[in-house]
Amino acid sequence: MKITTLTLAVAVVATGLAAEAGQPMNDLEIAHTAYTAGGLDIRYAHLALAISENDAVREFAQTMIRDHTAVNDAAGALIAELNVTPKDNDLSRALVEGAAAKRAEFMQLSGAAFDCAYATNELGYHQLVNKTVAEAFIPAVKVAPLKTLLEDALVTFRAHEAHAERMVDGLECAS
Amino acid sequence: MRQLTSFSRRRFGQGLGASLALVSAPQIARAHGGAHVVTVRMSRFAFLPAGVEIRPGDTVVWTNEDLAPHTATAHDGSWDTGALETATSRRMVFTAPGDFEYFCAFHPHMIGTVAVRPSGGG
Repeated sequence: MKITTLTLAVAVVATGLAAEAGQPMNDLEIAHTAYTAGGLDIRYAHLALAISENDAVREFAQTMIRDHTAVNDAAGALIAELNVTPKDNDLSRALVEGAAAKRAEFMQLSGAAFDCAYATNELGYHQLVNKTVAEAFIPAVKVAPLKTLLEDALVTFRAHEAHAERMVDGLECAS
Repeated sequence: MRQLTSFSRRRFGQGLGASLALVSAPQIARAHGGAHVVTVRMSRFAFLPAGVEIRPGDTVVWTNEDLAPHTATAHDGSWDTGALETATSRRMVFTAPGDFEYFCAFHPHMIGTVAVRPSGGG
């Protein structure tokens, strides 16, 4: 029941992001959204480390913290180098609000229910982010270094998606 | 100077079937004729090449080309480069013969092998 609810929530967020991503965003908005998405996944991971006792889930969460921190550090360095300020936008705000609601759901869970909810959300989140980055953000970005950064980040995020898929399979959350 | 070994040349001449089989086999980078340095790239969440063959005293340098940090960590725990941030390298000298399987401690699906062959070997 809880898994079904979470699945629906992911679908709602996915639909919202896809719709928003269809609208033109400028480079500063894209940078802000990508940075925000990484930061949110780090927050999910900290929650997982606080709640989960499953080794595979904890390992995944630690990887998310380490890798997304590295990607966001690179983004921060590029932003400083370009001397620009990323721009908050509707999509960033929707992501933040959606993640807050999701964390509230997660905090009501424990044990296998939490592990499956977190793992399933991570898979859906990375699928969604990767599709958006690949099909909307990278084609739209004008500044070459930002495009390169997004392309490099996508390599990392796709590895995360594959990792999340293995985690979900291992937890046997389906059904 | 790095050269193809006789081992590599033999394989190269074994016909189309063998050549096709090699496409899926790990790449072997081999140094000989004195101490050499072999570079392994950590790129797109893989070790490239995944397999290197060296002599005792040779050096392997791992360079991380990804944004995410990686490690090269021996499966048996005998050696570890530690975390390599993006655009950083770490070198290790291998003195004892043997096959050393390793992985990235952060992304365990990344695996590789360092084969250290005695200098007199084929």
